Amino acid sequence: MRAREATARRYAKAVYDLAREGGDTDAVARELEQVAGIITGDPAVRDVLTRPWIKPGDRRAIAAAIGQKTGARKLVQDFLGLVAERGRADHLSEIVAAYRALVDAEHGQTRAQVRSAVALTDKERQELSARLERALGQRILLEEQVDATLLGGFIAQVGSLILDGSLDGQLARLRQRLARG
Amino acid sequence: MIRVLAIAALLLGAAPAAVLASEGGGGLINVDKSLFIQMINFAVLLFILVKLLYKPLLAKMEERTQAIRKSLEEAQAARAEAQREREEHASRLRTAYAEAQAIRAAALKEAGEEQRKLVEAARTEAARLVESARADLAQDVRRARQELRQEVSDLAITVAERLIRKSLHDEDHRRIVADAIARVDKVN
Repeated sequence: MRAREATARRYAKAVYDLAREGGDTDAVARELEQVAGIITGDPAVRDVLTRPWIKPGDRRAIAAAIGQKTGARKLVQDFLGLVAERGRADHLSEIVAAYRALVDAEHGQTRAQVRSAVALTDKERQELSARLERALGQRILLEEQVDATLLGGFIAQVGSLILDGSLDGQLARLRQRLARG
Repeated sequence: MIRVLAIAALLLGAAPAAVLASEGGGGLINVDKSLFIQMINFAVLLFILVKLLYKPLLAKMEERTQAIRKSLEEAQAARAEAQREREEHASRLRTAYAEAQAIRAAALKEAGEEQRKLVEAARTEAARLVESARADLAQDVRRARQELRQEVSDLAITVAERLIRKSLHDEDHRRIVADAIARVDKVN
């Protein structure tokens, strides 16, 4: 898994450097996310781009064509073609995440994945962002996800930091205390 | 031997006297040339007797004396040898008996030591088994307690989760979220 992430970071860094030369890293990020969503969301497309018996040149052409269809710029098309040609299309999600991390670092911001039992209100969202920014000293972008399996509250993850404000976490801690006696 | 010679001398002296008396001489011994002849005769006879009878007899007697002495010495040597052998045998017997006693004592000591070691080993093993059983029992009790606590806590939390899920309303969610957001400041 670490090797996979390291590989993804290498690809992301390469395309990020090229995008920065072009001066529009955010647009490249959006286009990469869009194309990666299409490729990873469609099993048929994903299989075609990852099967080793399909010629690398054909994989490259297919990936570039998908990029072209979505209206992505030449850099994104070429990059997708390179990734498919090298048989790394199954790394696209990690590559996009690594690219996004590089862009976030460029803007001095970081992303917080928030899982909550019910959707947060705007006020709660703003309050949470503000407090996280104060606590961590950088701009925070919330990525929310409603998780019906949670009883209540939310779990926020910023990098390796996890803030467990859920009832589930409280009950889990209570369970541990009871089990320890 | 001296007694034999005396008897012979007496017979030799008496014989001429008896001859003279039977011839009607004047006394028992007549001092004339016959006396001289008789003396010579006596001397010759004495010489012959000494040479032919007395000396061989003495030699024979000496030989028998020597033989008897030798026999006695041999018997004495044999007796001494027998005594020495008896003493040696007795000494060997005593040595063998002492060795046997020593071996028996060593064997008894070794057996006693072995028995002591076996008893000690058995006692140690028994203590170890008891301690092991006690530890196992304590471990089982701890594990059973832990499992019971775990089951009780699982059951309690499961029931609590169900009750909470049923009883939570939107305002409760808002309050829980607000509380959790308020705790974010405590991250640092």
